[in-house]
Formats: sequence, C-alpha cells, structure tokens
Amino acid sequence: MTSLLEEASHLLHQEAWFLDNRAWNDWLTLYTDDCIFWAPAMVGDENWTDNPDNDVSLIYMDRPGLEARIFRIEGQDSYATHPLPHTSHLVTNILVQGDAEDKIDVSAAWMVRSYSRAHGSLIRGGLYHYVIRKTLPGLKILKKKIFVHDDKIVGPIDIYNI
Amino acid sequence: MVPGLFFLGGPTSPFITTLIVSLRTGGDVLDRDNTNRKPLAMGKGFSQRSQSSETLLEDSPEQNIFRVKRKAFTDPNVYKAEMSQIFERCWLYLCHESQVSGHGDYISTKMGTHSVVVIRGADDKINCFYDSCPHRGSKLTSRVSGTAKTITCRYHGWCFNADGHCTLVRGGSEAYRQPDLDRIGTDLRPISKFGSYKGFLFGSLDPEAPDLEEYIGGAAPFIDLLADQGPDGLEVLRGESRYIMEANWKLQTENSTDGYHVATVHRNFATAVGYRETLLPDTGNVLSKTEASRILNLEKIGSGGYDVGNGHMINWADRGNPEAGPLWSQRDVLLERFSSGKVRWMLERGRTVTLFPNLLLNDVASTCIRVWRPLAPNLTEIETWCIAPKGEQPDERRARIRKYEDFFFPSSLAVPDDVRAMEGAHIGSEAYDGGWNDLALGAKTLIEGADDAARELDVRPVNSNPGREVETPFFAFWREWAERVLK
Repeated sequence: MTSLLEEASHLLHQEAWFLDNRAWNDWLTLYTDDCIFWAPAMVGDENWTDNPDNDVSLIYMDRPGLEARIFRIEGQDSYATHPLPHTSHLVTNILVQGDAEDKIDVSAAWMVRSYSRAHGSLIRGGLYHYVIRKTLPGLKILKKKIFVHDDKIVGPIDIYNI
Repeated sequence: MVPGLFFLGGPTSPFITTLIVSLRTGGDVLDRDNTNRKPLAMGKGFSQRSQSSETLLEDSPEQNIFRVKRKAFTDPNVYKAEMSQIFERCWLYLCHESQVSGHGDYISTKMGTHSVVVIRGADDKINCFYDSCPHRGSKLTSRVSGTAKTITCRYHGWCFNADGHCTLVRGGSEAYRQPDLDRIGTDLRPISKFGSYKGFLFGSLDPEAPDLEEYIGGAAPFIDLLADQGPDGLEVLRGESRYIMEANWKLQTENSTDGYHVATVHRNFATAVGYRETLLPDTGNVLSKTEASRILNLEKIGSGGYDVGNGHMINWADRGNPEAGPLWSQRDVLLERFSSGKVRWMLERGRTVTLFPNLLLNDVASTCIRVWRPLAPNLTEIETWCIAPKGEQPDERRARIRKYEDFFFPSSLAVPDDVRAMEGAHIGSEAYDGGWNDLALGAKTLIEGADDAARELDVRPVNSNPGREVETPFFAFWREWAERVLK
C-alpha cells in the first residue's frame, strides 16, 4: 500500500514530467475543474502578495486561463514561446503538511533549468505550496501556489518554466 | 577611446530645413550643409585616429525623410553619451507617492548609474537623496523598499533621519573637530531637482533642468486622464516585477508608443484571451470582457498618435468594450467633475503616454506604470506597477488586476512577446548597424497641430496622426534625443 506522501510525490513528479515533455493536455488532467494556478508577485525584498483580489500576482489563473496558455503555446504564434525552451523541473523536499478528509496540503522545493538559443541556460527556483483534492480516481491539484524567488527575471515566465 | 560629439549641419528647427546630426568617434567631420563650418571641440589626436563620421539621424521634412541609423541602438559611444546627456539631465520618473505613504517609507532606485532613495520625512515632505553615506560613500539602503525613520549606515554607523539630517556621527565628538565635520557636510545630499506631478514623483540630477511642469509640457493633459480618475487619488498596488531585456532601452521607448506591432506581436494574446472567453460561463459580468476583438479588428476603430513636444508621445485607440473598463461605473461622477470630451477620453479611448526618456503610463485594458533603465547598450532593466483609483469597488479592482496580469508582467500573455520582439530587433540591428530605421509609416496621414480627437480634449499637439499604425509620433522622441545627445 502506498503512503499519502508517495502518492503526492508521484503526482508532483508526474506534473513535472508532463511539463518537461510538453504533454500539455495530460498535464491539465492533473488539475480539478475548479483549480487555481497562482504565482504571487514580490513585495519588496522579503514578501509576496497574498490577496489576489487586491494585489497583483505574476500569474493568477483558473482552468480556462490554463487552457488559454496551452492554446497560446500550441498556436506557435507567440514570438516568446516559439521555439519553446527545453526544461527540466527538479521537484524535491516534498512534505505532506496537512491531511484533511477531502484534501491535503503539500509543500516542495523546485528548480527549473531551461535552455533556449535565445537566452541560453537559465535556472530559476522557489517553493511550491499545493492543495490537493482526494478524488475517486486519485489525487488532483486544486490549488498550486508557486513562489518564484528570482527577482530580476530573464526571459518569459510561463506554466512550463516555474 | 574618447568619443567626440559633434553637431553637423544647418539651422536647428527640424521643420524648416534638413537636420543631419552625427556622433563620431574621430576624424574630420563632413559637413554636408555648410562646408565652412568647423567641427566643434575637436580634440587633439582625433585626426590621427581618423574614422569615417557617421550620420545617425536624418530629419528632412521637405524631402519627407525621417530616419534613424540602427547604430544609434548599438554603439557603445552613443550609450555613454546618453547616460550623461539624458539620464543625468532629464527629469526621470522615480515612484508614486502612494509607495511612500508614511513617515520613513522609502523606495531605493536608480537614476542612470546613480543610486538614489526617495523617502518621506517626519514633516510629511518627500525628499530624494543620493543613496550614499557622506562619510565614505557607502550605499545606505540594502532593500528595494522599506520603512526607516532612522537610516543607519551599515559600514561605520552614521545615522540619518528621514529628512536627511545626520543624527549621529559615531564617536564624532571625541575624534572629529567641528570645522572638519562642517567641511565634510554630514547631511544626506539631495538630488538637484525633485518634484511631484499629481503624485507621480520625478527627479533630475541637473541643477539647470526646467521646472517639472514645463518638462512635462504637452503631455500633462494626457497624464491627467489617468491622474484625475479617483477623487481621492491613485495608489500603486502591491506586487512588483523587474525583468531584464537583452536589447537597447530605446527599443522599449519606441515599443511603448508603437501601434504597428499590436496586430502582429499581440495577435496571439488576442486569440488566446478570446478563446478563454469562450470557455467561461456567461455570468453577465461585463468587467470580464477583454479587448481581444479590438486587437483583431483594428480597421474598425478610431485611433491616432501625437507628438506633444519635449520628446513625449501619445498613442490612442477607441476601446472595443468601454463598458468593460474598471472605471466605467464612475462615468456620471466624472461627468460632474470634467468636460464630456475629457470623460470620453478617460473612458472610451485606451492611451499610452510615453514620457521622454523612459516612462510609460498605459491605460488600455488595465493601468500600468512602466519604467526602463539602461544597464548597457544591449541590456535594460524594466519595472512595472499596477496603479488604480483609491477606493474602487472590489469587483472593479479584481477585474483591473486580472487584465493587468494578462498583459503587463513578464509572466503575461503579451510582455514576453514584446521583449522577444525587441531583443530580435536589437540582434538584427547589430547584424547590420548601417541600416536605417525609416519612419515613413503614416507620413500620408500626418497633420500639423491638432486632429479632431485632440480638439475634443482641448489640446494642441505639435503634430497628430489619425491612424493607429503610424511611426510619426516617434519623431518626437528622436528629435529630443538628437537635441540632447548629438549636439
């Protein structure tokens, strides 16, 4: 029998694998229909925005927003997105921080190394906070909060490289 | 190599005769209009290192020629001249007053190569000082922003209050003689000029700079269209972004007022958000409607561009869905305060106001302040903030923020494409820097003075162009640039 930690780790690693292999629609199946994908913006040197209704985020998207991102990437009409960089997500230090009846809180650290001819090798890093829903087929991502630690951002930030 | 800066050619009014201006790296200057004129201030030894002089800008209205040599974007000597002639002389945008709302609140930023700090004093007055300890020159702030009623130098412990006065020279009374302290000058050094235009704070390092209002000049009525939106003023929202563009800073100045790229670079933005709209349940919430249809149907809207003098440029276009704007609900209130022409401009026309040299105030789908600071000829740091009327309704605030995130951050659906386009323009300009950027687009429709839309706002631009896909507003920037850099 697999533990909750193993199940959650599998989900996070699977997400990274789908993104690094540009399997966008497989990636989207890991999210619930009412999901939120959130990368808060920095405030000064120490803080990140915490109220998406009154503060600006780098990204704050629901599922249609994610689908629009995929639409944009697949359309190959975005100068910044075509050709796509090659990415490798390193997702580690995965911990189950809370376990409720219908969902769990999971934290992790991330690094994404991306390579494109335009910008060469770029490395970014930060932390993930997930809220993961327990559903019948298995765990699905209800909310993903991505803290991007890099302040001076080189190249685009998009679903595939944070 | 020491760069030589020379002005070549005839009278200075670009509307009267041909203006040919050059930046040269040595050798005799070919004076095309006046063969008797001597080059200015030729340094000894330049003729030994003779290189061909190069015309960087050709401005010849009677021949309908206005073109910029691509070297203007790539040459390190041009860059050096810009840092001293523009970034140490012009009024530069620093921050908005709402970002330093309390005693000791500060923003640490840069003017050209100079670190400065904007800080609110105990008397509520905001000052701007060089971010440099009078003792040994150490940078005083170590954060991009914060609150410090006392600034303590981390190196030797001198202290300053938020008004800039030195409050402690550590060990001073034992080791320093008072006349020496008087000579040193222990207070923080203010920059030469500092001022506010309706809460937007600007500074200049040039003691001879004109007053801020004079510098802003013809751009003021267009800034007012944003600044006057909230009866209680505006505020910068929490959430910052700084990003790096591997391209020359002037490409961002041009891009900020360039309507021509919208239908190409941002076509994918429009189709993506248009697609997203089809996925959303129709809740009847008009605020969630976007400008996608407008971007994809450019020919159906009114639009234009202005040179409003002093290097400042305006670009505007009718909004596709004005009632989707977060300010629309305030229409009646605004009509009580302002003329119907001004309110029409506020609510029904999206605008970019590009102030010379490096500020954009954008009020199109959302409201954005953008500043770009040169780090090297091919490297620029860009910062953006969302600005909004204080006290707006929560659903309007939310809609404003979502639309801001759609377009204005390096994580958005638009800015990355702009950055990539400008980086491509820089690399291509380096490939053949002898090529010309010929700004002839829109010459057919150029009007001296005001067009109908300008008259509605009761303003008189230097020139107007009632077309959206025009490059003639760039004349404003380049004439001011030449005036400052090449003379």
